[in-house]
Amino acid sequence: MHRMHDLELFPEYTVTQLLFKDLKNAAELRKMAVNSEIRGALINPTMIVDAFQILVAANKAVHLYKNGKMKTRSLYSEIIFNLSPTNNISEAFKRFGISDTDNAVYIVLVHNKEETLNVDDIIAKVDGQQIDVDQVSELTDAAIVKKLYKVAPMEERCGSLLDAVVCRMATKDVA
Amino acid sequence: MAETDVLRKQVPSYLAEAQMIKQGAEARVYRGRFLGRSVIIKERFPKLYRHPSVDEKLTRRRTAQEVRSILRCRRAGINAPVVYFVDYNNHCIFLEDIVHSVSVRDYIVPVQATVQGTEHLQTLAEKIGEILAQMHDEDVIHGDLTTSNMLLLSKAEHKNINLVLIDFGLSYISALTEDKGVDLYVLEKAFLSTHPNTEAIFERLLKSYTSSSKKAPAVIKKLDEVRLRGRKRSMVG
Repeated sequence: MHRMHDLELFPEYTVTQLLFKDLKNAAELRKMAVNSEIRGALINPTMIVDAFQILVAANKAVHLYKNGKMKTRSLYSEIIFNLSPTNNISEAFKRFGISDTDNAVYIVLVHNKEETLNVDDIIAKVDGQQIDVDQVSELTDAAIVKKLYKVAPMEERCGSLLDAVVCRMATKDVA
Repeated sequence: MAETDVLRKQVPSYLAEAQMIKQGAEARVYRGRFLGRSVIIKERFPKLYRHPSVDEKLTRRRTAQEVRSILRCRRAGINAPVVYFVDYNNHCIFLEDIVHSVSVRDYIVPVQATVQGTEHLQTLAEKIGEILAQMHDEDVIHGDLTTSNMLLLSKAEHKNINLVLIDFGLSYISALTEDKGVDLYVLEKAFLSTHPNTEAIFERLLKSYTSSSKKAPAVIKKLDEVRLRGRKRSMVG
């Protein structure tokens, strides 16, 4: 149910993605992320169009991390920042990180192949129903995504919403 | 700092695994895998004949311009490959791999020979003119317009022509009619030399360009001026 992907560019790293709906303890989870009880990025799924979007953000974060060029202070906050179409860090956290009242959460973990990751440990902490990450489209708010990423109607002629989102994520440093 | 230098100088490991498909003077193009998808990786390799700090600045600038132009085109509804990731350390751009496509150049060559072909080519020329007008209206100068840099997505050949512009390596943003005129001139030269006896088709392209943009007449006027200026043209008188 959870999705694991080895980054092609950084083969020693694996990205694990989990998605939960009907979440009851968002506030608690957020606290756990802050005090490092959960070492992962807790993301608001309504902003996520597809698992690929998460992988693009995670890949860029690991690249910057390895080169010492991150804009934020941790790998996980960098993943959240990379999802945002703007270069404003606090805005990124506000929009893409989960808030205490959210009823769904997308959890992203990045770990070295050598470390063993206890996924069940994390699943146990979440009071919600785990669903397949492919089902994130059920939770996506396409209207808000279009507004936030400033996707023009013209753009939908040449690609999907995912294409528009990923392109902006990849080019925001020079756009 | 030493670590970053080492990372910069070595060839990225992902290129070793990718398959090189083209080598140009400016960059090498590979096909590889990225996040579970097939991608095109464009590497602007270091030019040893340049002073290293000049090379770094120039390469970085070219990479940024390319990526910026692509985004600008897409925002205006002009099809260009999606940028997935830019490695500014090694100056590599990871782009969507456009599969099931044929370059306009490879399309025109056989079609030109057939009788019904000429009609299709007229429609194609119209479409190209339309798209270039849109691009120039966005103030994007492609810089290397040739029929090899335009891909036709092989869907319905006769109805919806789906064109993708590629290779924005020499592109930049400019509102000057001179730059747009030169952009068209580059295409004209490339078009007429690659595809002999296609003057009528290119005429159609320019007509379509003119009717698709309000700023077009000025650009065409500039094109006429540039034509007079070109190589082996007498500037006497």
